[in-house]
Amino acid sequence: MKIEFTLNGSLAIVEAPARISLLTLLREYLDLTGTKEGCGIGECGACTVLLDDRPVNSCLILAPQVGGRRVTTIEGVRGPDGGPNDLQRAFIDYGAVQCGFCIPGMVLSGEALLAANPRPNRKEIRTAIAGNLCRCTGYQQIVDAIQATALRRREKP
Amino acid sequence: MTEKQFVGRPATRVDALEKVLGTARYVDDYHLPGTLVARALRSTLPHARIISIDVTPALKIPGVRAAITSEAFVNHGRFGYPVQDMFMLAHERVRYAGDALAAIAADTEEALRSGLQAIHLELEELPGVFDPQAALSPQAPLVGERPWDSPDLPRGNLLNRYVVRKGEPEGILAGCEVRLDEEYSTMHQEHAYLETEGALAVPWPGKNGVTVYANCQSPFLARGNLVQTLGLLQENVRVIQPVVGGAFGGKDDLMYQTTGQVAKLALLTGLPVKMTFSREESIIASYKRDAMQMHIQLGSSPDGTLRAGQIHAVVDSGAYAAITPFTAWRSSIHAMGPYRYEACHVDVDVAYTNNGYSGAFRGFGNTEVCAGIEQAVDELAYRLGKDPLEFRLHNCLRPGDTTPHGQVLGEDVALAECLEQVRKISDWERKRSAIQSAQLQAVIPGEIRRGLGVAAVFHGMSLGAEGADFAVSTLAINPDDSLTLTSGLTDYGTGSRTVFTLIAAETLGIRPDRINMLRPDTDTAFDSGPTVASRSTVMGGNATRIAAMRLDSLLMQAAADLFDCQMVQIIRHGENFVSPDEETVPFEQVVQHARSMGLTLSAQGRWDAPENYWSFEKGQGKPYFAYHFGAQVAEVQVDTGTGKVEVTGFWAAHDTGTVIFPQGALGQLYGGITQGLGYALMERVDYDQGYIQATNFDEYLIPTSLDVPEIVGVFVEKPFTPGPFGAKNIGEPGMIPTAPAILNAIFHATGRRIRNLPANLERVLLGHDLRKEGSNMACKLGLQSTGD
Amino acid sequence: MTELQYVRASRISEALTLLNEVGVKNRILAGNTDLALLLRADPALCERVVDVSLIPELHRITRADNRVIIGAAATFTEVLSNPIIIETAPVLVQACAQVGAVQIRNMGTLGGNVANAAACADSLPALVCLDAEARVHSLQEEQVWPVADVVVRPNHTLIPPGSLLVSLSYPVPPPGCRSVFLKLGRRNAMAISRLTVAVLGWLNSSGRIAEVRIVPGAATPQIRRIQSAEELMLDQLPGTELYAAAARRVADEMIQLTGRRWSTEFKEPALLAMTQRALMQVFEIAPLSSEEGR
Repeated sequence: MKIEFTLNGSLAIVEAPARISLLTLLREYLDLTGTKEGCGIGECGACTVLLDDRPVNSCLILAPQVGGRRVTTIEGVRGPDGGPNDLQRAFIDYGAVQCGFCIPGMVLSGEALLAANPRPNRKEIRTAIAGNLCRCTGYQQIVDAIQATALRRREKP
Repeated sequence: MTEKQFVGRPATRVDALEKVLGTARYVDDYHLPGTLVARALRSTLPHARIISIDVTPALKIPGVRAAITSEAFVNHGRFGYPVQDMFMLAHERVRYAGDALAAIAADTEEALRSGLQAIHLELEELPGVFDPQAALSPQAPLVGERPWDSPDLPRGNLLNRYVVRKGEPEGILAGCEVRLDEEYSTMHQEHAYLETEGALAVPWPGKNGVTVYANCQSPFLARGNLVQTLGLLQENVRVIQPVVGGAFGGKDDLMYQTTGQVAKLALLTGLPVKMTFSREESIIASYKRDAMQMHIQLGSSPDGTLRAGQIHAVVDSGAYAAITPFTAWRSSIHAMGPYRYEACHVDVDVAYTNNGYSGAFRGFGNTEVCAGIEQAVDELAYRLGKDPLEFRLHNCLRPGDTTPHGQVLGEDVALAECLEQVRKISDWERKRSAIQSAQLQAVIPGEIRRGLGVAAVFHGMSLGAEGADFAVSTLAINPDDSLTLTSGLTDYGTGSRTVFTLIAAETLGIRPDRINMLRPDTDTAFDSGPTVASRSTVMGGNATRIAAMRLDSLLMQAAADLFDCQMVQIIRHGENFVSPDEETVPFEQVVQHARSMGLTLSAQGRWDAPENYWSFEKGQGKPYFAYHFGAQVAEVQVDTGTGKVEVTGFWAAHDTGTVIFPQGALGQLYGGITQGLGYALMERVDYDQGYIQATNFDEYLIPTSLDVPEIVGVFVEKPFTPGPFGAKNIGEPGMIPTAPAILNAIFHATGRRIRNLPANLERVLLGHDLRKEGSNMACKLGLQSTGD
Repeated sequence: MTELQYVRASRISEALTLLNEVGVKNRILAGNTDLALLLRADPALCERVVDVSLIPELHRITRADNRVIIGAAATFTEVLSNPIIIETAPVLVQACAQVGAVQIRNMGTLGGNVANAAACADSLPALVCLDAEARVHSLQEEQVWPVADVVVRPNHTLIPPGSLLVSLSYPVPPPGCRSVFLKLGRRNAMAISRLTVAVLGWLNSSGRIAEVRIVPGAATPQIRRIQSAEELMLDQLPGTELYAAAARRVADEMIQLTGRRWSTEFKEPALLAMTQRALMQVFEIAPLSSEEGR
């Protein structure tokens, strides 16, 4: 069936079976491989995208569900020059990246948090990323990166 | 020593940018047109004889392009190190539920599933053995086909025994006034890397050759196995490691099978073939950390001096040996802990069973024994009425001491410093006295109780006496003045690429961003052994340093020629070269001059680990050229009403030598502690009659961000002269003492010793585990094709 | 495999027509967090999914005639962040806040949680504690059932095929009412509930217990208030011994309903502790645990 939705700010029209997940739609039909599959059952958050600005597990979303709605993937998170934005730079600077597999999901969860809550404390940050499993970093530097970005955005809106 | 520009300072991880942008390509992100999908058919029985297996019905399914069994490989695809007991696809027998029997490549997922279902398979179920102690009894059914090193001697399921022998502990133990005699156990642990296994094989047109992109840890081992089992020339096999989503030791053996399967399918079809695992297939089929049962006896004098110890451990190697002989050997060396003893005996028996097989996982045998010995030492301290941290300080190894296995240590032993540091930063004394001793007051049900526990670690560096231990790096200056660095060691998130880059930059006196490190590739790098054992910084770092020094001397030659002076008269100022008359020349100009002199601006560096030796008969030797030391303290809050344990604080002090990449080292420490926390409290691999119970992340639980406290990590940077800029390592040791630190804290809080990992809700509340009846359902379901 | 069909309803009546179409095996799609797993395990589960998640009426949360009405397709996030729910039903806010993690809460729906009726569903004890009702529409009629009756046993509800759960509603408790939801899992997020307990209550002007409702979850085949424990407490002064006695009744009732199972040895003391703790938090100011339920 035809699925028409807004993807990273632009209109996307894809012909795909109704049965597939949004994750498969992104990776196989649109060749956007930044969103990852870690478990297939919505437990790990590696497949996190934003649906109407809210973090969701794309492996648990049927592709046609996004018709007429807004989807943001990691490919849509960029600075004004097309490079990394301030949150992505913070991830690099604070050592939050190791193997990188959880990172697209973490960045999107972080962005969604900061959009809804510009002054999160560390507990709130941990709650916001609790659905994103990471096996490498122990989470601490990821929390540092999100917290530092929140501070920076408050200082220079 | 001169002030360093890059080493030890905040640095940018060289491969982080593509990861935060989402453009990093992991193996499943490679989309080549015409790629076939592949999957293995895996046994749903834990032990069976293959009566017949016929893949021809599968080939008749439209869309199925190739189907193979063990017959497709040389010598049935036999491989394995150190024991060749594995096959690319099972031959004659399957030995665990999940053992691969056949593999198919097809155009579509649907054709693949139909093909797998069409394979005609006849298995005769054989009795299985699932408990390692039971496996060692003479009546137990045999798992392996024949003992691996003594074909004439009947050995049953005993794969091997590793011993440490120092004096005669039995007599001393009998005379010790304070003794401990307890049993401890650990379970298998799943690596749970976020990216599952995968490989993409691309056949070479018109040639019997293949390139395999695989997330295996050690491309050279993969290449070696492909050469051996496919009968190809080494120059016709290329293995490239793309970006890898975590490994922790878990992407070796199973990945060699997977690369073999896809390579063969690609050669048969002439098309690219990709195999990626669902999470269920990964958990069911992949190897685990071994499970261990330990019987520990310790004796000390009344003043708190450890005198003697005896440990007997039984290791569940599961269906195949994999690397477990080496993990068990390391277990034996480390089982007594980093302490002085007059005498000790260690016996580690490794048993085959029909559970899933065991292999390498961060800590490599030390994580398991540390969970035992650090609890045992702790228990003894309490029986003596001693503070457990003070007890460790009293008995810990110091420079010049002799280890339990007879090795005299050098100056680079900083365990006491680590214990002192961690005592200070955790505020140990004040907190411990503030918390009422659990032994003095019975626990009121429903209360929240706090506790503080400590554990220490020593970890032999690199491969030790496992085999040849060397690494090779190359460094070359390109026509555009950028540099290309290679290493045979790989970076699957650990940060070694950045470490090597910083070492090269520091040695050459140039900015790290001039240096590009190539992806691990058997065509461009030099074999440096496996990327394991926390060996990358020292082995690969030293090799890189040597290559950089050689290149640097060529540049210095060129600068001396340019300035018409002696090399020793030249000063470096940032990237510039300064002559005796203070003429400043930039790096590019020196390079250009070097080229004009006809110098070849590339260099290779090789570093071999210092010699070590081990006597397997005597159980004594010098098995590792150096050791890493560390100490950790955990603070817990235990809900005595429900058994829930919260780790509310964590402090770690590690003797890492010079830290090359601070954010990276801290990240490895935090990550290791988090894995140790999971190992202590919530991770469990249960086999019921050989069937794994938890097959995905809904039931196999690893810590979330809300389960991990804020961790305070400090590095005791006692320079380690053999290491590059004095560096040691951190990768594995960060994880090893974590679980016992937490278990010791639980004891402090509740007065309850939990000698069996994990310390789950039931064990903390009731003192024993509770399990509902196991079933084979999840395992069998998981082995059916899944995914859309 | 046949092609799965997807159709989106924009009104309740449209949904009902689609669900009752002859010759098509339908499933209702709301949050898809449960349905996706069912489809993954059994691709032949249904021929068509009817997406009701964007029907505006099913998202509304309103207060009328001293009742709060929650559209069945309201997500956990929408429920827990809604000012009406925050003011009138902390127990439901806490239950929703501890489901899974942010991603699950953004898609999973309250109605889906009820209709799927998992044994460990977190919304059920909170809703039963609120004496909530479920309104179900079919082509012919509208029916209202207490939520406690809707769930017959794990994964089985009274909701007839071809009908649609449209809303959950509860009477607004009086000012002075306090409620709490405690969850025990094996980790602090993305955890299946090992045990939960929802408690609600208020005191009269003499400081005696005027109303108390106790609902354990992931403990019994049906989710119900434990009336024998509640009756013990009515008109009594709050106090530790009273909580202990009531909790003992709750644990006994659980064992009565389930018999002694493999898990009882754990659940009995844990439920005792959690119930006492919840009662303490409802009827006193200082909670027992150093951190309240996340």
